[in-house]
Amino acid sequence: MHFIRCWRRSATVITSIRSFTVKRLLCSVGPEDDTVFAMSSGQGRCGVAVVRVSGPASALAVHSLTRRFPAARTASLRSIIHPQTQELLDRGLVLWFPGPHSFTGEDSAEFHIHGGPAVINGVLQALGTIPGLRPAEAGEFTRRAFFAGKLDLTEVEGLGDLIHAETEAQRRQALRQMAGDLGRIYQDWSDRLKRCLAHVEAFIDFSEDELIEDGILNNLDAGVCQLQTEMGNHLSDQRRGERLRSGVQVVIAGSTNAGKSSLLNMLTQRPSAIVSPTAGTTRDVVEVPLDIGGYPVLLSDTAGLRDTTDSVEQEGVRRARQRVEQADLTLAVVDLTQLPSEPLMVSVFLRGHLRSILEQTSDRQQCIPILNKSDLISTEQKHSIRAVLEKDGDVARFCFLSCHTRDGLEELLTVLQDRLKTLCGNPLAGSPSLTQTRHRTHLQTCTEALHQYHHYRDVDLVLAAEGLRLGLSSLGRITGRIGAEEILDVIFKDFCIGK
Amino acid sequence: MTHIRVNETEGITHMLVRRLPVLHKALCTCSIQVADVHTQHYDVIVVGGGHAGTEAAAAASRAGANTLLITQKIQTIGALSCNPSLGGVGKGHLVKEIDALDGLMGRAGDWAGIHFSILNRSKGPAVWGPRAQLDRGHYRDFIQSELLSTERLTILEGSVEDLLVSAADPDKPGRHKVYGIRLAHGGGEIHSRSMVLTTGTFLSGSLFMGPNSSPGGRIGDPPSCAGLSYSLKEILGLKIGRLRTGTPPRIIKDTIDFSCTEIRLPDEKPTPFSFINAHVNCKHEDQLPCFLTYTTPGVERVVNESMHVNSHIHQDTKGPRYCPSIESKVLRFPGRLHQVWLEPEGWTSDLMYPQGLSMTMPPDMQLCLIREIPGLHKAQIHTPGYGVQYDFVCPTQLYPWLQVKSTQGLFLAGQINGTTGYEEAAAQGLWAGVNAGRTSLSKVPLSLSRTQSYIGVLIDDLVCRGVTEPYRMFTSRSEFRTSLRPDNADMRLTHRGFEEMGCVSQQRYNEALQVKQSLNEALSALRSISLSATRWRNKLQHVNISETKSTILSGEEVLQYKDVSFQMLASAFPELLAPFLEFSERIKVEALYHPHCEKQRRDIERMQAEESLYLPQDIDYLTLPVSLSKEVREILDSTRPNTLGAASRLPGITPAAIIHLLNYVQREKNRNHGTGKDVSCFG
Repeated sequence: MHFIRCWRRSATVITSIRSFTVKRLLCSVGPEDDTVFAMSSGQGRCGVAVVRVSGPASALAVHSLTRRFPAARTASLRSIIHPQTQELLDRGLVLWFPGPHSFTGEDSAEFHIHGGPAVINGVLQALGTIPGLRPAEAGEFTRRAFFAGKLDLTEVEGLGDLIHAETEAQRRQALRQMAGDLGRIYQDWSDRLKRCLAHVEAFIDFSEDELIEDGILNNLDAGVCQLQTEMGNHLSDQRRGERLRSGVQVVIAGSTNAGKSSLLNMLTQRPSAIVSPTAGTTRDVVEVPLDIGGYPVLLSDTAGLRDTTDSVEQEGVRRARQRVEQADLTLAVVDLTQLPSEPLMVSVFLRGHLRSILEQTSDRQQCIPILNKSDLISTEQKHSIRAVLEKDGDVARFCFLSCHTRDGLEELLTVLQDRLKTLCGNPLAGSPSLTQTRHRTHLQTCTEALHQYHHYRDVDLVLAAEGLRLGLSSLGRITGRIGAEEILDVIFKDFCIGK
Repeated sequence: MTHIRVNETEGITHMLVRRLPVLHKALCTCSIQVADVHTQHYDVIVVGGGHAGTEAAAAASRAGANTLLITQKIQTIGALSCNPSLGGVGKGHLVKEIDALDGLMGRAGDWAGIHFSILNRSKGPAVWGPRAQLDRGHYRDFIQSELLSTERLTILEGSVEDLLVSAADPDKPGRHKVYGIRLAHGGGEIHSRSMVLTTGTFLSGSLFMGPNSSPGGRIGDPPSCAGLSYSLKEILGLKIGRLRTGTPPRIIKDTIDFSCTEIRLPDEKPTPFSFINAHVNCKHEDQLPCFLTYTTPGVERVVNESMHVNSHIHQDTKGPRYCPSIESKVLRFPGRLHQVWLEPEGWTSDLMYPQGLSMTMPPDMQLCLIREIPGLHKAQIHTPGYGVQYDFVCPTQLYPWLQVKSTQGLFLAGQINGTTGYEEAAAQGLWAGVNAGRTSLSKVPLSLSRTQSYIGVLIDDLVCRGVTEPYRMFTSRSEFRTSLRPDNADMRLTHRGFEEMGCVSQQRYNEALQVKQSLNEALSALRSISLSATRWRNKLQHVNISETKSTILSGEEVLQYKDVSFQMLASAFPELLAPFLEFSERIKVEALYHPHCEKQRRDIERMQAEESLYLPQDIDYLTLPVSLSKEVREILDSTRPNTLGAASRLPGITPAAIIHLLNYVQREKNRNHGTGKDVSCFG
């Protein structure tokens, strides 16, 4: 029981993963000489569970549970036995990683066991009876790895994501970052910016006494521009990586009684919002976190948009509009029974209607128009509306739906997943997205600083160089600080500087 | 014991008096000092009379300490043993700061300069490099006469055989204590509370030319006693390293064909180094030019052919990252042209100094080499170039006030700490002198922050990071380049020099205060003017003010425009601004950098806060009960930073480690608070 409680507790700590690197790494001061263990595969039911042990008593743990010590870094099948009761807990793979060539830099071991709760609890409990072993705190393995110099900052954050991976897509992106793709991109920028700065510094400190080729500043201008472009492109990935971490904001909007709350309930498969035939039932924003096709979604139901004198409902409408403005994706729900009966008027009406829902949004935001209550109109009507809309290409791709009969749900989900995929980006293709708001902020500061370079280039070279210094120090907050000595390394390598 | 040789000194002073009639007083002071020699006890002893030693002796005396300067040869006090020039980019910043703290170097430069120019004119005033070619004789004379007229300072010619070392005072940190020196040749002992060693390249120095080497620190001077090296290494247990430097051959001026070179004229209006000088000594029309020429493929050939008889270039393959000699330039950057500056050595000197041609090959090959250079086809060498290898004390063993951590009373400055250059040496000398003086008078030693001065940057880099090659100042070493400018060195340092350090005269302090007040008033006046862009355009006809009509601009903001000068504004608002016309250039620079300095202020404050958190010097980093990786522990253990700020700048120290250290220091502080013991480590 003790371990189950412990496990649950560590699961609840997950919410603060972002502050993990900051707070936990920086604030907790504890001796590193004890040995920790925890289940390190994801939570929930799974076929195989991995229990990890790290610290000086790891060898003792392996020996106590398996009797026969396995060869280093080789998977060996072993009977896992409770050291006190001698009871057979499971048969599984045991791996032994002697330090410093292990994930944490310390002696460590992994038990790959069957995923049932009884087996897992049994093994964890058995480990807890070995002297010198204690359950790990959240992120403790990473912290140890970090202190052993096994991870750089981006990798630690990637690992943080991995621990938190609530969905399949998040896990894949975290894996990519761990492998250092993002780190490589930043490192490349940092190297190039370092060289640009070194050349300006060389020009400032040495061009009066030494021979420094003319035109060095012009080459530099081009280099800085190129960096700005690349960072700009990276930044304009429309928050894909961040969405993946915190969830895509999907907002259901439309006029009153269009069936927005019914749609929410249908998607969440439970009565999350109160549904009634009375217009204006939903007055505040209702938020539900969801997993749609592996993508994390924060789905919000909003008050119906209409002019009203009720002050409470007015506030609800204001909040609804605000949500739509901030949304990554809007599900605009339209009541089919409210469409004009003349088919030719339908597209004009729809366009105006969508515009009134999406009035505050920018072009880059996405919308799926949903024509609800399809059960209330005839099949012929449906066909003629579809025909009109398809002929008129400028209305975005729409979905017929009946929240009542669940007719059209499959189609809606397919469209929705398509959109989520573009919004989040496929984590295994293309440029790895930003997974951290932190990175974004530093990159933005960096590009602004590079702008300062151009601004002062012909006014005061010191202030221009200051722009590059600032840019490099912002990038350095992601990849590690670059000091004056490294700049001098480049200068002395690229230029012949005398005594 | 070789006390000051009265006859010889009189000879020198006589000579000085002839050249510097103002300093007639020096004679009287000198005779008083001669009498003082017999006291045998001083507050401070300075060993060495180079740039570090002279500044140290002068600064210790100014700080109130009864000081003795011991040098091997009185005639070489203040000698420029290498290039006949002062200042430049970075180095000029140091000269301005030395002057702001009332040091000698700036004024000596103004007295001895024969060619003044401000380098980097086109690159922004923060990196302007005031520089001068010097007359060697004038420079030396000025320094000697200044020292002779310095109160509380005695000069003694002699060699130091050994340091007098005893057990440390138990109530202060350190393992040993230095209480004086023993003179060579049975000269007896002289005692002092503090001592500054400025032995330059003489510490186990050897000279290299061609395939041969001989002991010595400078050609023409006797090698220093081996005893000093032994004391530092074996008795005090200091970690010693070895560095190399070199000097070019001196060329006879009449044998140079200047028509094959490019002439470089000085600034039409020479700018003095010193804040208290309105003019330099020499008239602008009397200044001498420099000449520029280039190496040729023939130079490369000679270097390669002489490799087998050039032992200096073969030794220590690691070498510095930059190119200390023409040999290293050619070997590392083959196929390129390299600049050679031909610099005058003085008004009457018949020699020229070829900057950029430091070399250690045999003299006959040196002649072959220079004759491959345009303008030098028929040149004759007066003195060949040579290399020097010498011991230095790894400066991470020093406190930021340049005292050896393990040895009470012992301060080091100049090349002995691994630096190169007159300005770097003088800056350390001044700072070591101030602190040696202060500790001898039982005052707390002081540190200079790298946020406030290049001297602070220099010392912080030395004591925190150590050196692997001779350390030279560049502006790129400073994080706060827009604040640490040559024009405002007096505003940054002079008031502190008077109020806290006690090394600045009342007169200079008063002047600096007046300037500061005028600058502040001028800037307030500028800020009080505020007009729309349209009205500014009417006021300043020829200036392209791009702002839209409705934008309101202050006088300060308009002055930030490239084409706007303070004079222009003063003629537009004569009543308000004309009183400040004498500071036009300074006001312009202040206005230009003001917004940026404001932005950096938070960074500066943070760094100062970290620098004020002292790490106890007796911490055992290897067992400290704090979560630190083994690597971090080893770095901290080997460098033993003084402050948290210094620790945070060490390569390999993570931000997390800093937070752990901070936690630890504050916890200790709280714990000791109850017992009244402070963790700060002032010696």
